[in-house]
Amino acid sequence: MSNDELTRREFLKRAAALGAAGYALTQTRLLSLLDGVAVAEAAPARRPILAVASGKTIARRTQAAVDALGGMKKFVKRGATVLIKPNMAWARKPEQAANTNPEVVAELVRLCRAAGAKEIKVVDHPVDGPADRVIRLSGIGPAAEKAGARVFAATSPVMFQSITIKRGKVLKRAKALRDLLRADVVINAPIAKVHGSTRVTLGCKNLMGTVLDRGAWHRSRSLDQCIADYASQIKPDLIVLDATRILLSNGPKGPGNTKTPNLVIAGTDPVAVDAYGAKLLGLSAGEIGHLKRAAAMGLGHLDLDRVKIKRV
Amino acid sequence: MPGRIRALRRISQLAFLGLYLTLFAFAGRAVLLGLPPDLFLRADPLLALSAVVSLRRVVTPLLWYALPLIVLSLLLGRAFCGWVCPMGTTLDLLERLFKMRGRRPGQAPPWRRVKYYLLLALLVTMLLPVANRSQSEPSLSGSVGLSAVYAADPIALLTRTLTLSGVPPVQWTITFARDVNFIWAYAPVAENRPWMERLFWRIGAALDRFARPTAPPHFRLGALTLLIFAALVGLSSLARRFWCRNLCPLGALLGLLSKASPLRLRVSDKCTNCMRCVNECKMGAILEDPKKYRGTECIWCYACAAVCPEGAVSVTTSRASSGRDDRVDPARRRVLEAMGIGVAAALLPKVDWSAKRTQGGERVLTISSERLIRPPGAQPEDAFVTACVRCGECMKVCPSNGLQPAFGEGGIEALGTPILVPRMGPCNEVCEACWQVCPTHAIQPFRAEEKKYLFLGTANVDRSKCIAWAYGRQCVVCDEACPYDAIYQDVLDGLPRPVVDDRVCVGCGQCEYVCPVEPRAAIRVSASGDKRHLSREEQRALREAAPPRPDSGQGEAETSIDAGEQTPYPESYPYPQQNGE
Repeated sequence: MSNDELTRREFLKRAAALGAAGYALTQTRLLSLLDGVAVAEAAPARRPILAVASGKTIARRTQAAVDALGGMKKFVKRGATVLIKPNMAWARKPEQAANTNPEVVAELVRLCRAAGAKEIKVVDHPVDGPADRVIRLSGIGPAAEKAGARVFAATSPVMFQSITIKRGKVLKRAKALRDLLRADVVINAPIAKVHGSTRVTLGCKNLMGTVLDRGAWHRSRSLDQCIADYASQIKPDLIVLDATRILLSNGPKGPGNTKTPNLVIAGTDPVAVDAYGAKLLGLSAGEIGHLKRAAAMGLGHLDLDRVKIKRV
Repeated sequence: MPGRIRALRRISQLAFLGLYLTLFAFAGRAVLLGLPPDLFLRADPLLALSAVVSLRRVVTPLLWYALPLIVLSLLLGRAFCGWVCPMGTTLDLLERLFKMRGRRPGQAPPWRRVKYYLLLALLVTMLLPVANRSQSEPSLSGSVGLSAVYAADPIALLTRTLTLSGVPPVQWTITFARDVNFIWAYAPVAENRPWMERLFWRIGAALDRFARPTAPPHFRLGALTLLIFAALVGLSSLARRFWCRNLCPLGALLGLLSKASPLRLRVSDKCTNCMRCVNECKMGAILEDPKKYRGTECIWCYACAAVCPEGAVSVTTSRASSGRDDRVDPARRRVLEAMGIGVAAALLPKVDWSAKRTQGGERVLTISSERLIRPPGAQPEDAFVTACVRCGECMKVCPSNGLQPAFGEGGIEALGTPILVPRMGPCNEVCEACWQVCPTHAIQPFRAEEKKYLFLGTANVDRSKCIAWAYGRQCVVCDEACPYDAIYQDVLDGLPRPVVDDRVCVGCGQCEYVCPVEPRAAIRVSASGDKRHLSREEQRALREAAPPRPDSGQGEAETSIDAGEQTPYPESYPYPQQNGE
């Protein structure tokens, strides 16, 4: 036995010390300084709340869902400017379930107004044209205007502004709606529909309607990743998913088979809300590419068991 | 008194030009005073004549609209040219603007008869049987003529120029002004001034209502059309109203009708041969002896009476006291020449620069280019080309800017007729704008609900370019956008790829328009699915024979497209129910 050889005792001591130091380092997150992404991609710690409301009228449901999260006053402070992004993309009538139900949007406007919002804008960048006809036919235009919002379509390219997607893996830059970037509060108000290329279109996918060049996402390496990338940059304060009548086939435009769960779902976790929406559409969130990618980026909970669901 | 009448004439000219421009501007947006937006085109007897003669069919509503002008001309001669015609007024205004006075009367080119020869040549072309009538109208005689009247009819010419060359610059200006206002609304200066933001935004939004929904529009052939028009205006430097006095076939037609007019100019013995009236007459209608004038050329502008220092010019119905000369004096060899030109024009389709082919051994459908996609409701090709006067009204009102003038697609005889260019704009499923402004019913009336079986063509997926087929990536934007659910998905390895159901696809072009593949779409409409040779009932039967897809929601009445179209756009886009033809 030579002198330079470790004794068993010495070896065990050193191994224990190294292990303790390593453990201490991970506990104090000193390592995280070296790897910021690792921390950022860890799932949010708190259990998010999902409010699922099934009141008598669409308006009451909407209000109940928002109240379950603490009421609109929690999100909208007095004098705030609010942007509501419904799905108002198609020249379809409300009963065809291609656009967000106008009553949901109108009730959100009323709630914002009651909370003291200074200005409420309801905007989309419609796929169908002409835009004014989409606004009128969807029913959102008349209903939300009556409730006191400014409803318009982003028809001019000057309404968009270049932004950098800081954590974008595929989507590095996008031209996003100026009104969205400037609003104090952003409320995403999608409708639950199946979708030809992305399986479902819910909250994350609905945000695609706030960029100028959607074609670039389709041409890119991965549409799913683009959606997730954009969701990592644009984070709505509140997501209110309209599941009054949902589109089960031929989405996103239809005409297709519809179902009427008569629900309104509200939450602040974009992935959890969408996971619930996917369930309503008869799919599991794990099947949806862009939701999986969004969850992997730490944008929210994919697993509904880890979400606190409040039924009201 | 004559001066007053001249002033009245100018007011009338401006009023009618104003009406014409207003109707044009509002075409596709609103109906004014219950007047059809194409009122002037319908009231044009030359266009009515062309439709009846070349189509061998009495187009009744057209004739009713043309009747007033025929009666007016029988009574008052060419008063239309002097008092109403927007082309004449435009020429008057531009001559004034550019100070074009023409050469002195004796030196102006003596080509007044050319317009009669032109009219004759046009008639000969219309009369010759050029094409077989399509099978869809077996009850009618077997052939249609060819009408080249579009090239020379002043109203069609002016309207076409306004559309192709006039609408885009106006739209660019509106779009630019809109964007400037929006930029100001978003500017830092407006950020903390809500009133300023609101003001600029309101102006921008108001302008946006008048801007086209898609990018600022443009038309092919716009520059060429403008050049032709500019050349016609430029001819006025040779002689005032050069077009009206020498070339206009409508003027020729009205001139012939004017022979029946009882009204005459009388020059009394007070005339001193000062020749002021001769110099002032913009039609060159007064002869060297100022007491004599050509009745077929006088447009009752009252300039001669207004400038006569002796007050020697008056109106009479007495044959004896007037020096009216109604002779057209056609030269025999020129007449033969004009007929020859007419025959040659009728043979133009044989030039066939677009290599047309026939389908099924019969001239059922003339296919010249797969891009010859006609608007919905268009008559079968031969009749369509004959009936269309190339006024461009349909292209003006098409909200998507998808209707464009054909260049080579339909052969030389179809130059300037409307075709759908889906990459520029699709045919919207709920729109009925084009037929409502078609003065000759080349585009036949249809309801939006019928559009699902008015087959313009068929979409084809180019699998070598399609994002899903060629590169295996997610994209079925075409399926998303298809209003008729004619695209379904072939799912391979979990990735959906678009497939067209050609029994359902009507070729509206929505898919081609939205396809993200640049520059040429990976899904394109081809005219090969054009079914205009079939009657509407047959087309409908074809569509209904296609089995409904299980996912298209047709089991539920509330979500079927029919239910959705029951109340299409509160005020039935773009017009309320009108012209019950």
